Amino acid sequence: MSPESGLVAGSRETVSPPPELTGWAGAATAIHALQQMAMPMTLTLDVAEHGPITIDFPFHAFSWDTPFAEFPHDPTSVLVETRPANPEQPTIALPGRPLDSLLWMIGYTAFGDRPAPWLREGDRYRLRRWPALADIAVTLDQVRMTAMLGNAFATADELAAAAHTPPADARRLVNAFSVTGILRRSTGAAALELPAAAPAAEASTGLFSRLRERFGH
Amino acid sequence: MEHIILFAGPMGAGKTTAIRTLSDIEVVSTEAANTDREQSDKDTTTVALDYGEISITDEEKVRLYGIPGQRRFEFMWRILRERAEGMVLLVHIDAPDAVASVREFIIEFFDLVERGGVVVGITRSDMAPGPTITDFTDALELQLPELMVPVMLVDPRDRGHMELLLMTLVANIETRAAFGATLETEYSA
Amino acid sequence: MKLKAAPAHKDVAIIDASTAILREMTELASSLRYATVLTDDGFEVVSVPTHKADGRLASMASSVQALSEAVARELEIGDAPYVIIASEAGHVIQLRVPGHELVLAALFDVAETLGKALSTSRLAAEKLATALTSR
Repeated sequence: MSPESGLVAGSRETVSPPPELTGWAGAATAIHALQQMAMPMTLTLDVAEHGPITIDFPFHAFSWDTPFAEFPHDPTSVLVETRPANPEQPTIALPGRPLDSLLWMIGYTAFGDRPAPWLREGDRYRLRRWPALADIAVTLDQVRMTAMLGNAFATADELAAAAHTPPADARRLVNAFSVTGILRRSTGAAALELPAAAPAAEASTGLFSRLRERFGH
Repeated sequence: MEHIILFAGPMGAGKTTAIRTLSDIEVVSTEAANTDREQSDKDTTTVALDYGEISITDEEKVRLYGIPGQRRFEFMWRILRERAEGMVLLVHIDAPDAVASVREFIIEFFDLVERGGVVVGITRSDMAPGPTITDFTDALELQLPELMVPVMLVDPRDRGHMELLLMTLVANIETRAAFGATLETEYSA
Repeated sequence: MKLKAAPAHKDVAIIDASTAILREMTELASSLRYATVLTDDGFEVVSVPTHKADGRLASMASSVQALSEAVARELEIGDAPYVIIASEAGHVIQLRVPGHELVLAALFDVAETLGKALSTSRLAAEKLATALTSR
């Protein structure tokens, strides 16, 4: 798998991702690769004009001077550097910023409307846990889709159909969950799947939609 | 039409604050002087319930009941849970054993958990060191491999956080109700 | 360095004073079946006669007291109401011990008039308040 060609565990290296994986795509691919490894790692992402991000995976936190309101959607470069971590010793000042938010943003942004390259067409996924996204302005459609994927296996397209959202939105969300490291893949045909799309009218009669209106969203 | 949501969790987690943040009306609270300074150094503690509400229309309300966290008040839990549609479990990250606390309340309110009616809000995570979010979710996954209980980091004073927590709870309940019964225990290798 | 005071329900002087007042109450009113002093937040200080304490009654009494006070506040009828639970086989009277974070609760035989039950309880609460204040 080509994205691994540049990543060497156990030494400090600055890595150039393959040319098609620049910017956040390269970072997302590096993060995904690290998540497959058993070793605890830290990662530094040098984001052009936005300073370095240090990610401490064992402590599930990151440091970065840029607030999410200024998150660059298409930085000219993101340089990736990996290092083994000591699970007893944080590399950043704790508590740091909660990691889920960053990984989610990177995953949501990295591949545009296309699925992440490691996600196989036709595979169904489900959430292992809810993403902890307190600092990010999520939409209520995203909340609904998250709840669905928390309770059943689905492809991104099935998710979009069940939630009555554009397929691109669901694909970005699945990418975000994947980079956050909280997806699990269905291995069998008998997995509980989302029911066929409910008629749009039903979606708007529940407490969720009435509360949503009440809260002014 | 009414919907009843409980706010539960150990003393000092921020239940009363959370209800104040969400409530349309001034919160009715039943605070008494706190004698148990070993448990928590707060001056007061809830001994019956906190009550707040959100009016959706003239005819539809969400009633918010904060129940006292100490086990000696579990008769209140029993009285209120019968009518509860869902529960927000708030635990502060610097509680004596925050992960164990979450597990205890999940066991206690398992009937609500089963229908997706529980979300967990971890408070004070920006103020104090403690377990990571995955420490909580790993423990829950071990306890309940087939059910996903949403766990989020929240500030009970923050309106945006509290609205999101409530919307998450409602989405989870409605989704589970729509999808019906059994869940597959399928895990990727 | 400041030593933390013992909580009321573990304070020997408070326990002793409360015990004395409750015993006196039982002597004054033969219709008294049970009486207890509890902290605001539901810990039992002492009860007469003593029973296999599981602490539940004290917790419940504190909840009832707090809820009643919330109602009284809402209706603007005063701060420290008496609570009367009148049932077929007995009456429960609850009221605050003035000036202290304590509540007195007593169960009277249904044969007793509510007036007498109230005045007995109120007297006991006031005596306890005086005894504790002059410690």
